[in-house]
Amino acid sequence: MISGITLLTVLAMASTTYLTRIGGYLFLRNRELTPRARAVLDAAPGCVLVALIAPRFTSTHPADLLALGLTLVAATRLPLLPTVVVGVASAGLLRAVF
Amino acid sequence: MVTIAGQRVGAGSGTRLAAPGSGSAELLRGVRASLPVMVGLVPFALVLGAQAAARGFSLLEVQLLSALNFGGASEFAVLNLWSAASPPSILLVIAVTALVNSRHLLMGAVLAPRIRHLPRPAALRALFWMSDESWALSLADARRRAVETGPRDSFSLPFYMGLSGGIYLTWATCTTLGAALGPMLGDVERFGFDMAFVAVFLVLLRGMWRGAGAAAPWLVSLLVAAATSLLLPGAWYIVAGALAGLLAAVLRADASATPPSISTPGQPAEQVA
Repeated sequence: MISGITLLTVLAMASTTYLTRIGGYLFLRNRELTPRARAVLDAAPGCVLVALIAPRFTSTHPADLLALGLTLVAATRLPLLPTVVVGVASAGLLRAVF
Repeated sequence: MVTIAGQRVGAGSGTRLAAPGSGSAELLRGVRASLPVMVGLVPFALVLGAQAAARGFSLLEVQLLSALNFGGASEFAVLNLWSAASPPSILLVIAVTALVNSRHLLMGAVLAPRIRHLPRPAALRALFWMSDESWALSLADARRRAVETGPRDSFSLPFYMGLSGGIYLTWATCTTLGAALGPMLGDVERFGFDMAFVAVFLVLLRGMWRGAGAAAPWLVSLLVAAATSLLLPGAWYIVAGALAGLLAAVLRADASATPPSISTPGQPAEQVA
């Protein structure tokens, strides 16, 4: 069963999200990039990823900060999957202990 | 549906991709690449489904939401505002969704030079499946491949579709499962699964590392996003942090553009004309 208002909300969300997904591509598809624009696009992926995880660094829970530190160290020397395991395990264990 | 679309798109681009590995091999490689991401994705999809059910969404409504919108962060944000008795105004829903997903604009812009050679309908179809993880992993993959294929063909569409398909099916299935199982799952953060995303992003950042100078905008982004998350509610910190970082990148480019040469060693593989 679907209520009208929920359906409307879902459709509004879906179209908004899709517009954000195609917007950058449509805007930049046929443009030559200036050095400035290149510098921005080169830096953009890292900036978005860093911004997404930034609130983790302001956590007030020692367990979270410690797990973040361990995950950070793991990320500098291990492949992806082991790093994920270190992150999940350290966060789970430390939260159980503290 | 995803697999069919993926194969169709993959086959259509087969003639243009002078890439090592056939379309289906690339598709499989993409599915394999989605496995580490699922570790973090599954618990959150379960929780999203459970939360939606608790807020009065029917099973079918949860399926529609995760299948059509397919953006976890915006779904959590809107559900947070939701009550069946007095649903939030559509305008507010649109504003929150646009704000949380505004990072997609930047992500699409970054991807644009890599997929410029694709026919527009194929690109527009493929972009429906762009998520943080599929975008970041396929971009990292394109950077690696650029060494063999040259920048123009570095983006592997079947790889991207396999990766996105894995993520999409996991998300759609597990949100449904979460809605069916209900709120008995409790708080998955307790078990540390939220750290999977951080781990994935940190490893991706390591791959993007081009020296401390090039990473200076990241530090700006980190500091501004962290400060904003303490000061403002909601998802503003993503926008504020990313924009501050980009501003730093522009200032850095302008400062280094004064000498005649702009391109620095170590960069050429990154550039896609």
